Amino acid sequence: MKMLVRTLDMEYETVSAFAAQAGFKTPSGDLIRRDTRGHLSSGLFPVWVLGGVAVVLLLLTTTGCGKTAAASYRLNMVESAKQRLKPEQEQQVATILAALFGTPDEPIAPSECGLDAAKLHLAAGPVRSDIVGRKNGLYREHCAHCHGVTGDGMGPTAAFLNPYPRDYRPGVFKFKSTERADKPTHADLVMVLRNGLAGSSMPSFALLSDAKIDALSEYVKYLSIRGEVELALMRAFFELDDEDQGRLPEDREFLIEEIVLPVAEAWQAAEDALIDVPEMAADIDMAASIAKGKELFYGNKANCVKCHGVTGLGDGQVNDYDDWNKVVLQAHKTVQGGLEQAGEASTWDMDADEADEHRAELAWLDRFQKVLDGNALPPRTIRPRNLRQGIYRGGMRPLDLYYRIHAGINGAPMPAAKGTVPPEDIWHIVNYIRSLPYDFNGTLGVDKPMVARDRL
Amino acid sequence: MKRFAAVFWSLLFLSVPVLGVATFIVGPAYDIWLPRDVSEHGAAVDGLFYFILALTGVVFIATEMVLFWFIWKYDESKSNGPGRYVHGSHTLEVVWTIIPAAVLLFLAIYQMNTWADVKMRRPNMTPTVEVVGRQFEWRLRYPGRDGMLGTPDDLHLVNDLHLPIDEDILIQLKSMDVLHSFFLPNVRIKQDAVPGMKIPVWFKAREEGVFDIVCAELCGWGHYKMKGRVTFEPREAFERWLERKYAEQEATQPRDSEMAMASGVVSHPTQIAKNQP
Amino acid sequence: MSTVESTSPAVQESPQTSVAPSHSHAASTAGRLSTFLSTYVFSKDHKVIGLQFLFSTLLWFLVGGLLALAVRWQVAWPWSDVPVLGKLFAQQGGQMAPEFYTMLFTMHATVMIFLVIIPILAGAFGNFLIPLMIGADDMAFPTLNMLSYWFMWPAFIAFGASFFVEGGAASSGWTSYPTLATNVNSSPGSGWGQTLWLVGLTFVGVSSMLGSVNYMTTIILMRAPGMTMFRLPMTIWAMFITAVLQAFALPVLTAAGFMQLADRTIGTGFFSPEGNIVNNAMAGAGGGQPLLWQHLFWFYSHPAVYIMILPAMGMVSDILTTFARKPLFGYRPMVYSVAGIAGLGFIVWGHHMFMSGMNPALGVTFMVSTMMIALPSAVKTFNWLGTIWGGRIQLTTSMLFALSFVSMFIIGGLSGIFMAATPVDIFIHDTYFIVAHFHYVLFAGTAMGVWAAIYFWFPKMFGRTMNEFWGKVHFFLTFVFLNGTFFTMHILGAVGFPRRLADAYHYETFHHLQPLNAFMTYCAIGMVATQIIFAVNFFWSMFYGPVAGRNPWGANTLEWTAPSPPGHGNFDYQPVVYRGPYEYSVPGIEGDHLMQTDPPNQAAAAAAAAAH
Repeated sequence: MKMLVRTLDMEYETVSAFAAQAGFKTPSGDLIRRDTRGHLSSGLFPVWVLGGVAVVLLLLTTTGCGKTAAASYRLNMVESAKQRLKPEQEQQVATILAALFGTPDEPIAPSECGLDAAKLHLAAGPVRSDIVGRKNGLYREHCAHCHGVTGDGMGPTAAFLNPYPRDYRPGVFKFKSTERADKPTHADLVMVLRNGLAGSSMPSFALLSDAKIDALSEYVKYLSIRGEVELALMRAFFELDDEDQGRLPEDREFLIEEIVLPVAEAWQAAEDALIDVPEMAADIDMAASIAKGKELFYGNKANCVKCHGVTGLGDGQVNDYDDWNKVVLQAHKTVQGGLEQAGEASTWDMDADEADEHRAELAWLDRFQKVLDGNALPPRTIRPRNLRQGIYRGGMRPLDLYYRIHAGINGAPMPAAKGTVPPEDIWHIVNYIRSLPYDFNGTLGVDKPMVARDRL
Repeated sequence: MKRFAAVFWSLLFLSVPVLGVATFIVGPAYDIWLPRDVSEHGAAVDGLFYFILALTGVVFIATEMVLFWFIWKYDESKSNGPGRYVHGSHTLEVVWTIIPAAVLLFLAIYQMNTWADVKMRRPNMTPTVEVVGRQFEWRLRYPGRDGMLGTPDDLHLVNDLHLPIDEDILIQLKSMDVLHSFFLPNVRIKQDAVPGMKIPVWFKAREEGVFDIVCAELCGWGHYKMKGRVTFEPREAFERWLERKYAEQEATQPRDSEMAMASGVVSHPTQIAKNQP
Repeated sequence: MSTVESTSPAVQESPQTSVAPSHSHAASTAGRLSTFLSTYVFSKDHKVIGLQFLFSTLLWFLVGGLLALAVRWQVAWPWSDVPVLGKLFAQQGGQMAPEFYTMLFTMHATVMIFLVIIPILAGAFGNFLIPLMIGADDMAFPTLNMLSYWFMWPAFIAFGASFFVEGGAASSGWTSYPTLATNVNSSPGSGWGQTLWLVGLTFVGVSSMLGSVNYMTTIILMRAPGMTMFRLPMTIWAMFITAVLQAFALPVLTAAGFMQLADRTIGTGFFSPEGNIVNNAMAGAGGGQPLLWQHLFWFYSHPAVYIMILPAMGMVSDILTTFARKPLFGYRPMVYSVAGIAGLGFIVWGHHMFMSGMNPALGVTFMVSTMMIALPSAVKTFNWLGTIWGGRIQLTTSMLFALSFVSMFIIGGLSGIFMAATPVDIFIHDTYFIVAHFHYVLFAGTAMGVWAAIYFWFPKMFGRTMNEFWGKVHFFLTFVFLNGTFFTMHILGAVGFPRRLADAYHYETFHHLQPLNAFMTYCAIGMVATQIIFAVNFFWSMFYGPVAGRNPWGANTLEWTAPSPPGHGNFDYQPVVYRGPYEYSVPGIEGDHLMQTDPPNQAAAAAAAAAH
C-alpha cells in the first residue's frame, strides 16, 4: 500500500532510502543505485550498448574503403570443366584471351575479325549515365546486367528472366535473315536491338541513336567472337600431343590462323548467306492462301502441329530445350551419370593406377558439379510459340515469319523447312499463321475476348 | 553570449522562408520547373498549381516569419518579465478555424471542374490507339483503316507513339502483367495501367513536338527503362507515318533502303582494330 | 487505486524486512541469471520495455539511414561504383543491378516506417511516458507489454533475414502493390523476400496491437486521482488517440497481409486478375483485383501516417510549453484537433489512389475530405505559435528540435495541399514532390520531434543530461543538411522527376537534373554522418553525463516528480493531481511554474493575487 502523502519537500535520494524509512522492502533490480563516487547512475543494460558498439564495429570491419576492382571477364567454367582443364591451362586461356581481346574497359580485337575499334570503345568501359558527353559505357549501361559483362547471359538479373538472356559465347543467334547455321548480319543485330524481342525481356532500344545501336551491335559481335575463340581454345587442348605438355602453342600461326580466323570468317560470310525470299504474288487470293496454309500446317510435310499443337497454342511438345540450356542439361546428366557409375565402383579390387584414376574422376565430377551450381543457370525447357497470341519474338512482319519457317531457328528445336516445303507454300503457311490471332471458330472477327489461353 | 546564441538560432529559422523562397526562384532559372506543356487542359492544371503555390507560399512566409519573430523577440535573454499567462483565445481559435476552412473549401470546389474534364468527361469516340504496359515496354496498337482494334489491319508498335495535334485523342490503357503508369509530363497526363482493367485516357495536344513517356508506377527492376516517346504531328503527317509503318509491318521483302536503315551508319567496318600478336 | 502486478520474482510480501539486497536467496548462478533475465531482458517494467524499444529502433534507424544513402548514391551517380556495396557486384566493376536498387528503396521505407518510427513513438516513448505522466505505477497489462516488445524480434529477424534469401529482400516498394508483389515471377524480391516481408509486417502489427490495447486501457483506467481527461498532457492525448488509430486500422492491414500471403503461397487470387501472365510464367488463379489491395493497404496506411506524427506533435506541445515557460495556447482546441485528425484520417485513404484507376468520382470525395484534414493541422500550428508568443524562450537543444518540428511541419503540411488537389496530383503523383512531402512530415517533422523528446526525457530515463553543446551542433548540422536534401525535392518534383527510378537521366525531360541530385546526396551523406555526434553524445552521457535531479527542466507533468530514473512503481508516493499540465509563469506564486501535483493552496493564493 502506498502512502497518500505529498512529499515534495522531502528529497529522498533513492526509492530504497524512502522505503527503508517507511519500512517497505524494495524489489530487487532497483534501477537506481549510487556508484562509487556517490553519484546516481542507472543500472542500464550494457547489453544494448555492447550490441550497438558491436554493430558499428561489424559495419566498419566489413565495409573496407576503396573502390571496387575494374570489371573483368569470366572464364567459360562449364566448358573448362567439360574439357577437364587444369588450373594452369585455364590460366593460359585467360592470358591468351586478354592478349587477343583485352578487358571490358579496354577492348581490342585482332584485325582479322574486322571489328571497328571506335565502336568497341564507345560500347565498352564503366558507365556513369550522369556524365554528359561521355564517350563510352553503353554496354554496361544497357546490357550487362542481363547479358553479363562477358556476354555469357548470366548477369545479376538473368536468373529471374524467362527466357534467359542470350549467351553470345557459342556464336549462335536465333533471329536473323541468314540460313540456319550461319551467323547473323550486322543488320540483323541492329534489328533485334531496335525492335527488341516481343514477348521476352529483351526491350526495344529504338530510342537510342543509330550510332549507339551500331556500337552495341559491334560489341555483341566482339563478345561473340571472343566467346567462340575461348571455346575453340579450350577444345584445342584435346588435340595436343604429349610433347606439348598440356600447353597450347602461342605463335601467331596457331592462334590466328587456326583459332581466330575460322570464327572471324564465319561472321564475315554472313553477308553472303542471306536467305533468298521470293516475292509473294501481288494478286494472291488471301483466303485461298490461308486455307492452303492451314492444310500445310496440319499436314505431314511441315508437321507444325507436332510442336505448336493442333490448337496452335504451343502445347504440342513441351519437354524440349534450346541449345544453350541443352549444354547445361547435358552437363548435369554427365555429372549425375558419372557419380552413379563412380559410386558403384569400389577401390578394393583396383590397382594403384586405377584407383588414382577413379579418385581423379570423382574429383573432376565434384568440380563439375560445383561449376554447374555456381556458374550456370538451371536449365529451362523451351515452349513452342503460342501462335494465337500474335506475338513473335523475331518480328511480326510476313518477311520475318518467312525467315523463321525457311531457316528454322538456330539454337532452338524449330526446324528449317528449306528443302521440304517449297517457297510459295511457305508463304501460304505464313498467311495462315498471321490469320490465327484473329481466327475465332474459323471466322475473322473483331476484338473478342481471347479464345486462346494467354501464353506468350 | 546568450543573446548571440538566440540571435543565431532565430536567424537559422529565418533562413527557412528566405532560402525556401529562393529555391523556388532559382530553380526555374535553371530550368528546374514545370516542363513545357502542350496540352489543352494543362493550363488549368498548371494554373491550379500556381494558385496553390501562391496560397501556400503566403501562408508559409507568414507563419515562418512569425516563428522567427517570436524566437527573436521572446528569447529568455531578451525578455524581461515572465511568460504571458494566457491559455488561449476563443476569438482567435474561431478566426483561424473559419478562415482556413473557407479557403480550403473554396479550393476544393474550384478544382472539381478541371478534374472532371480530365478524368470524368470522356469524349465519345473510338480509341485512337491502345497502349499496353508490359515489363518493360509500351506496346502500342493502332486500329488501322477499319477503325476497330483487334482486326488484321491493326498496326503494332513498341514505345514509339505518334498522335495527331488539335484533335481529341482517346487512349485505351491496359497492362499485360503488373501495374504500370502512363505518364506524359508534357501533356499533364498520368494514369495507372492496371492488369485486368481497360482504362480510357483522353486529351488534346496543341503543339507539335517529341516528348517522353515515363512509367510512373513501380513495375519491377526495369521500371526506369520503360521509356517511350510520343510525337505530336499534324494529322496528314500522322497518317503518312501510319501508312509507312504499316507497310513496314507487312513487308514481304527486305528492301535495300530498309537494309541500309537497319544496318545503321556503315555496313562494313573500315577501321582496323588494334592487333596484338 | 491502481493495481500492482508483481513484476519481480524477488519481491517479498512482508513489509518489515530490511533493505538488504534481496539477492541473498538467489545465491546460485542460475538464480542470478534468471534474475538478470527477468529484470533486464524479459522485464515487465514499462520503463525497461520502453528503453528496449528505444535501443532497437535506434539501431534500425542506422540501418534505414544507410539504405537511404545507397539509394541516394545511385540517384546521384547512376551505375557508378558504389562504395561498400560495390563488392557485391565485383563482376560488373561495382555497378549495382537495377533490381538491387528497387530492393534498396523498398527496404529503406519498410525499415523506417515499421521498425523505426512507429515503434519509437508508440513503443519507446509511449511505453516509457504513459504511466509516468498519468501517475500510474506501470501499465495495465505488464506481461502483454513485454510481449509487445518481444513480438518485434520475429519481425527484426524476418526483415533482416530477407536480405540474405535468394532473390534478395522485398523489392516491390513498401506499398507492395500486386501484381508485382504477389507474383513471384515479376521481380527477384517477390520470392522469399516478399514472403518474409509479409511475415515481418504481421509481427509488427501484432506488436502494435498489443501495445495499443495496453495504452488505451492504462490511460482510461489508471490515471492518478485528480487527473481528469482534460488535465492530461498533450503527449498522453496524442498517445491515446494514436492507440485508438492503431486498434481500428491495423486489423485491416493484417487481413490484407494474410490475403497477399495466401495469394503468394497457396494460390488464391484475391489480387490477381484472370489470366495474368508475368515474365512468361503460367497464370495463377484469377478473379481478383489489384485495386483491392490498394484500398485495404491504404485504409491502414493513411491512419498509420497519423500514428507516425501525432505522438510527436503531443511531445512537441509539452516541450514547447516547458521551454517557453507558458501555458499551451488553446488546450481544448488542440485536443479536438488531434481527435479530428484521427477521425478524418479514416476517410482520406483514397488520396493515395487518385491515379490508380478507381472511379474518379470517388476521387472527388476523397479530395474534399483530404482538404478538410488540413484544417486541424493548421489549427495546431497556429496554437504552437500562440504558445511561444509572449514566452520566456529557453533555447535548449530540445527546444530547438521542437521549434524546428513546427517550422518543418508547416512545410510538410502545406506541400500536402498540392497533392490533395487532384488535377495537380495528376502531375506530381509518384514524383519527388511526394517524396519531399512525406520526408518533411516524417523526418523533418517526426524525427526532429523524436530527437527533441530524447534530449528532453533523457534525464528521466538515465539520470543524466546529454551534452548541450554537442546537442546543438547535432541540431544545427541535421537541420541544415536535411533542408538541403529534402527542400530541393519540391522543385525536382515540379519537373516531374519520378520516384523509384534507378536512372532517370536518359529521359530528355530529366537529364539536366543530375547536379541537383548530386548536391542532395552530399547533404544526405552529411546528415547521416552528423548522427555520429548524436550517438556518441547519447552513449557517453548515459554513463558520464552530468547527473540530473528529478526536474532539470522545471516542467510540470507528473514524471518530473519521480526520481531520475524512476524505480519500480515509479513514484515515491501516490501522486494526486490538482491542475492541468501547463501552469507556467503563473502570476502571484514563487517560482515560475506550478506542477500538477502542487497542492491547491498555492494556486488559491495565486488566484487571490490575480483577483486584485
